[in-house]
Amino acid sequence: MTPAKNILNYSYYPGCSLHASAKEYDESTRGLFKALKIGLHEVPDWLCCGATPAHNVDELLSLSLCAKNLELSNKVDGDLAVACAACFSRLKVTQHRLAENEEKRQQVAYALDAPLALDKPVKHLLEILATDFGLDRLAAAVQKPLSGLKVACYYGCLLTRPPDVPELDDCEAPSIMERVIGATGAETVSWSHRMECCGANFTLSRPGVVLKLSGEVLASAKRAGADCVMVACPLCHGNLDIRQREIEEATGNRYGMPVFYMTQLLALAAGVATGKLGFGSMMVSPEPLLKAKNLL
Amino acid sequence: MSRIGVFVCHCGENISRTVDVEKVAAEVGRLFGVAYTCDYKYMCSDPGQNLLKKAVAEHKLEGIVVAACSPRMHEKTFRNAAKAAGVNPFLCEMANIREHCSWVHEDRDEATAKAIDIVGMMVERVKRNKKLQPITVPVTKKALVIGGGIAGIQTALDIADSGHQVVLVEREPSIGGHMAQLSETFPTLDCSQCIMTPKMVDVVNHPNITLHTYAEIEAVDGYIGNFQVKVRKKARSVDMAKCTGCGICMAKCPQKKIPNSFDKNLGFRPAIYVPFPQAVPNTPVIDRENCTYFKTGKCGVCQKVCGPGAVDYTQEDEIVVEQVGAVVVATGFQLYDIGPKPAGSPIEGYGEFGYGTIPDVIDGLTFERLASASGPTGGKIQRPSDGTEPKSVVFVQCVGSRAREKGISYCSKICCMYTAKHTMLYKHKVHDGQAYVFFMDARTPGKGYDEFWRRSIEEEEAVYIRGMVSRLYQKGDKIVVMGSDVHVGVQVEIEADLVVLATAVQPREGADTLAQKLGISYDKYHFYSEAHAKLRPVECATAGIYLAGACQGPKDIPDTVAQASAAAAKVMTLFSRNELEREPIVAKVNERFCVGCLACRKVCPYGAVEEKEIRDRSGNLIKVVAYVNPGVCGGCGTCQATCPSKSVELDGYTDEQIMAMIEAL
Repeated sequence: MTPAKNILNYSYYPGCSLHASAKEYDESTRGLFKALKIGLHEVPDWLCCGATPAHNVDELLSLSLCAKNLELSNKVDGDLAVACAACFSRLKVTQHRLAENEEKRQQVAYALDAPLALDKPVKHLLEILATDFGLDRLAAAVQKPLSGLKVACYYGCLLTRPPDVPELDDCEAPSIMERVIGATGAETVSWSHRMECCGANFTLSRPGVVLKLSGEVLASAKRAGADCVMVACPLCHGNLDIRQREIEEATGNRYGMPVFYMTQLLALAAGVATGKLGFGSMMVSPEPLLKAKNLL
Repeated sequence: MSRIGVFVCHCGENISRTVDVEKVAAEVGRLFGVAYTCDYKYMCSDPGQNLLKKAVAEHKLEGIVVAACSPRMHEKTFRNAAKAAGVNPFLCEMANIREHCSWVHEDRDEATAKAIDIVGMMVERVKRNKKLQPITVPVTKKALVIGGGIAGIQTALDIADSGHQVVLVEREPSIGGHMAQLSETFPTLDCSQCIMTPKMVDVVNHPNITLHTYAEIEAVDGYIGNFQVKVRKKARSVDMAKCTGCGICMAKCPQKKIPNSFDKNLGFRPAIYVPFPQAVPNTPVIDRENCTYFKTGKCGVCQKVCGPGAVDYTQEDEIVVEQVGAVVVATGFQLYDIGPKPAGSPIEGYGEFGYGTIPDVIDGLTFERLASASGPTGGKIQRPSDGTEPKSVVFVQCVGSRAREKGISYCSKICCMYTAKHTMLYKHKVHDGQAYVFFMDARTPGKGYDEFWRRSIEEEEAVYIRGMVSRLYQKGDKIVVMGSDVHVGVQVEIEADLVVLATAVQPREGADTLAQKLGISYDKYHFYSEAHAKLRPVECATAGIYLAGACQGPKDIPDTVAQASAAAAKVMTLFSRNELEREPIVAKVNERFCVGCLACRKVCPYGAVEEKEIRDRSGNLIKVVAYVNPGVCGGCGTCQATCPSKSVELDGYTDEQIMAMIEAL
């Protein structure tokens, strides 16, 4: 039986974070897609994409890891849905790099000892929701409007960069996160640090850098009057949420700013049971905020 | 023709390094009809030309082939030499064995063989050349100058002072251009208005200048010496003959809050207005888009208060036709609008600089208006957002310029100097203020320029930071400028009260459509192209059209004025003669065979083809044929290639000649 045309179906690459530190991203993604009746099927036997360390150490290794994942993804129907900004970036970079470089393509094929299958479209969840599913349908699926919630949409550095790779949105002035969360009735704030780096790579080696950069991100969101920050990247989340207490201690500022994964807020709006959204795993509890806004 | 001389040039070593020129001369000498051959190191030099003249006399040569460089380079030189030797200059041709042969080949034998072929082809062509006589056309001794900025004004005044008539057309309601908007000018800091407005008055008072302001070029026809120009004079809604310029209409206009574009929207103006108090002519125009009367029919205040009864709501656009002999294009520049990317523009914006969203991020011209005594603040430096005096100002250079990835790769030339000037103007008015400049390079090569730039650092204590700015963002009432200092290798953040962006210089909007009307060429940025970058810098490739000022490329005031005077000199040279000689290489129609399909007219890029009626003695129409106006024909040969009945041919490039060349191969 062929599925009806308007039913969306995706293969799903969660990446390591979503099975570990960012479990709530994974849970809420699955919950949201189920609520929206979008098919999501995990790629079997997927491996780590190498994320930030691999390409700094060995380009061939990082390209091969992603090429292997792209090959594996062909076992499941549908375009490849990716939640983590870093995985998304690495998979897209691999496609671009290998498409334009015959020599590298041969090296990777040799390393994998298999023909390359790189053509599957790689899509970030944002793209799927905004374009494939559509903002109108998203708005129609809202059961619990987030009206009154002031959200600072945080793109970080990877989601739209480098300019020609992710093809997600305008590199310098993106609006896709605002458009998607705006469909739930939430209010988005205009703020200065939407695209600044959180310090990602330095989280273990130079925590001081992270405290400064992520601190500025939180301060900017606060200045703009946001109630919370919304992210689409486990690394950003780690730095803004897990380190928020440390940042507060280091800078002397008090933020108390819940940092949501975008799917947590969207799933909440789509009526997914709050018990399935992983709010309990967040270091800065969103409970007081959501209660104040009558969302819990 | 059986006595042809072939002269093979070494071009120093340019040709002889790859081509065996002696062999070429010897081989060509065997061709039928060649009476004399030789080779020489520099044919274009004086001894080289004398060699040619001597050979013509000694060997009674009837045709000449010079095997050397491109005809673009020296065809004229050798044709003049041929003429001096008594041979019709159009019986002298060049065989290009440099660009087409020695420069593009490495193998000496192959290049030599090819050179022999090229020369052989030209020999066959010259055998069939005809003695052509130059065409003469009359010259209308009146010039059109398009654009009333400093370039157009200088050109118009120079030509008019030489005793010739000038028509000056300006798009805006007043002449003066950007220079009238500036506060002080580098490198002397004299007030722009003080040197500009007297010239503007000279223009309007000059008996030889006809000034059309608030007017645009509608169409241009004709050719050098004989252009017909249609000028659309937009409806001013004010009768220029009656208006005394008293200004009561402006004072009484109930519309007061229309952003004043002359002040870069910092101030306001009424719906009936002159752009600035020193405007020339001092006659207001009604901005019909914002006028209550034109929008709703209810108001008419200006008409009621006008003593001389000059306000005329029924006025319509008027088309004026001018006959001129030369055109000078001086349409100037505009600053790159770095706000959100305009639709259809190939150039990307700088969203990260917040221009258009952060009110205290302004461009250079806006700063000029802030600093100008006649500006909206009376010369006080104030922030647009709250009117406070900024105590720290960051200037960012090269915004949009020299940024290939954003679409503009050229240097805008004036920004280093005007930013240095801005730091001085700022410091002269805000003594306790601090100016910072982010720069890539300081480019200050003009006379007195480097000294001026140094003054801004050494005396006015402007802090120059070498590096680019990555982002600007609003933080409270400050603007945080994030950048890098590549000399020290650190990242820099400055909290500024005001940010001034030195944005790229671009040609005026609509430069391309004007170029198409004039038939002149422009580069990929829409700057107009000169005929030769070094040797013909003020002429267009289209004869009779000249360039002045920033429409050709970014220029400061001294350069603009110099070029404007040069363009005027070229026009005066043209006007010094009563008749012009034109190259006779034009298309001719064989009227016996022409069937009058006029396919040639459709393809002619010069608009040179007309209809001609052939009548018998009693006046009965026999047929209609095509006729090529030799004064307009550019000699491109497109008609010849198009004609289905093979009845139009280009002199010097007839089918017979081309076939002979092919057969010679």
